[in-house]
Amino acid sequence: MTPISVVDIDYVALAPVIIVLVAAVIGVLLEAFLPEAARRSGQLLLTGSAVALAFLTVLIVAASRPFGPIAGGSLMLDGPGLFLQGLILLTSGTAILIMADRRVDPGGDAFAGRVSTLPGGEEEREVSRRGLMQTEVWPLMLFCIGGLLLFVTSNDLLTLFIALEILSLPLYLLVGMARRRRLLSQEAALKYFLMGALASAILLFGSALAYAYAGTIEFAGIAERISERTTANTLVIAAVALILVGLLFKIGAVPFGQWVPDVYQGAPTPVTGFMAAAVKVAAVGALLRVLYVPFGGMRWEWEPVLWIVASLTMLIGSLVALAQSDIKRMLAYSSIANAGFILIGVAAADQVGLSSVLFYLLAYSVATLAAFGIVTMVRVPTGEATSLEQWAGIGRRSPLLATAFSLILLSFAGIPLTAGFIAKFGVFTAAITAGALPLVIVGIVASAIAAALYVRIIVRMYFTDPVSASAGVASPSPLTVAGVGLGVALTVILGVFPQPVLNLVEQTSIFVR
Amino acid sequence: MSPDAYLSLASILFAIGAAGVLLRRNAIIAFMSIELMLNAANLAFVTAARAWGNLDGQVVAFFVMVVAAAEVVVGLAIIMTIFRSRQSTSVDETSLLRW
Amino acid sequence: MNAAWPIVALGGLAFAFAAFSVVIAAFTGPKRFNRAKVAAYECGIEPTPQPIGGGRFPVKYYLVAMMFIIFDIELVFLYPWAVAFDQLGLFGFIAMMLFLINLIVPYLYEWRRGGLEWD
Repeated sequence: MTPISVVDIDYVALAPVIIVLVAAVIGVLLEAFLPEAARRSGQLLLTGSAVALAFLTVLIVAASRPFGPIAGGSLMLDGPGLFLQGLILLTSGTAILIMADRRVDPGGDAFAGRVSTLPGGEEEREVSRRGLMQTEVWPLMLFCIGGLLLFVTSNDLLTLFIALEILSLPLYLLVGMARRRRLLSQEAALKYFLMGALASAILLFGSALAYAYAGTIEFAGIAERISERTTANTLVIAAVALILVGLLFKIGAVPFGQWVPDVYQGAPTPVTGFMAAAVKVAAVGALLRVLYVPFGGMRWEWEPVLWIVASLTMLIGSLVALAQSDIKRMLAYSSIANAGFILIGVAAADQVGLSSVLFYLLAYSVATLAAFGIVTMVRVPTGEATSLEQWAGIGRRSPLLATAFSLILLSFAGIPLTAGFIAKFGVFTAAITAGALPLVIVGIVASAIAAALYVRIIVRMYFTDPVSASAGVASPSPLTVAGVGLGVALTVILGVFPQPVLNLVEQTSIFVR
Repeated sequence: MSPDAYLSLASILFAIGAAGVLLRRNAIIAFMSIELMLNAANLAFVTAARAWGNLDGQVVAFFVMVVAAAEVVVGLAIIMTIFRSRQSTSVDETSLLRW
Repeated sequence: MNAAWPIVALGGLAFAFAAFSVVIAAFTGPKRFNRAKVAAYECGIEPTPQPIGGGRFPVKYYLVAMMFIIFDIELVFLYPWAVAFDQLGLFGFIAMMLFLINLIVPYLYEWRRGGLEWD
């Protein structure tokens, strides 16, 4: 009986993930043992400090640890992985600020007081009279963030799948927990769950085929096996196709993203912001790694597919967004369109493409979070004013909020001096150098369509007379102000002084294989 | 041992599961179909593990079983909540959200 | 082939014991027939709570089943550890203890928040 050699684990490099997940477990214990009155503040303190500490640790790891496989090769420490981990923690932290706000809604925070009560029942009224809040939200958030951190650094097919599940399962629950319009929220949760589980299963079967082809689940081993091949092999092509479908589902690309508008509309708005920002960042990060590292040798097979998907996603996302009358659905389609622009950079499949995608993710995610943060503030007595008609004349009553929202919309439209312009310029340039000119032309057309949409909303906010059912703007707590302010500030700063961040993404954009 | 037959069987099971998710209207049955897809993947994994003579695939199969159980719990919780609110598990009747 | 003998022997023993128990009970046990005998589980207590209208089972059964699944399935990780216990040594022991602690945490949550109470 010889002892099995112990895997070598670099605990410092693993620290961000460990901090977040241990905090999540402690959060569950707090739920079990803290008295009800102290739970919310305890959870907030724990969650906030864990995310902040993890962010600092990412910086320390980036400065001090050598790149390479950690945790026995299951995870990979490299530039893109660390950048995305930092970005995930930044956006999650911002989302947590917006989630923690309980002043915009007179009833409490964005989540149902007791998720188990029947919507509209006597029990629910009793709960809201007592002002109870469901504090399990916070451990669920931490588990989800832990999964996101693992997802972007995973270096074999098993870790990829497990990370995907760790991030998805808490999200399914979070989606169904809205305080207002609970039936809608529960339905969104069911839809997201069925679609998400289907996507995971497809990804898993793709992984199984990839393993059957390569005989290993490690990315490096699969890459080696693919580089050795001489003829086309059905098994590996099916594997790539299925894994690609699974990940594109998560990103919300057309035709796999039909769930996006429904789920984004039904979920509690801060959770929608978190999904549109942090989760999309992680999904794109995982897609990049999977396409570039294990399946980089099959670029000629997957690139045409990505071209088609990216074009469809941009066009359909922008066009359908035009027809929306609900602000959350509109932002959902806009996030689909943005996923298309990101895929342009992914399809470029070189270092320039990678760095442009990283910058795009940063610009897009902070703006999206701020946009959904603003949506939480515009309210009618029964909840958020999600109908676009109710937004008429907001600019006159609350100029500051309208200005912030306009800036974000201009960034989505890609107007110069906003982060969105630099980001779009980056992915288009990368695509042209990679020879994807048709894709860029489609992108520019889609941008023009989207710009028309965003300008229409700005016009509605400033130059339309308020209707009788128009929304008011709730006075937010400093938490939401900080979250939205950070997003808007970054959108402007990245638009005016992008160079330091551009340098950073250029330096970090090499995957270690 | 040729793994082809087993991989074919796994693919067929996977296809049945996928068709079930997309076609059946009952949330519970759609959900069972997803479990079938996961188990098809498990079959492919253990087949490949046997064919290649290493243990990776079997380890994955263990993890998939656990993940499937966790998914069952989360999924049933969501379906139960919906059922309690509206006394039905039909996917079609949940139609507050338009396409 | 020799390796299979203990299994066959064990199976034979189990069968013999079962057969013996059934036969000996038929001869030695007292026989009194009453209503409790025909009730489910022969213990005189009706399983509670009954499905409403005889059709659907109450939701509590699902809750218990869900809890059972989630704690039960973790066993698959303990088996490989048990088989390779000697070779895995201290590292394996600590890793599995951490795993078990992680399992106890949700159990504590369940217990403290009343998830284990039937009513």
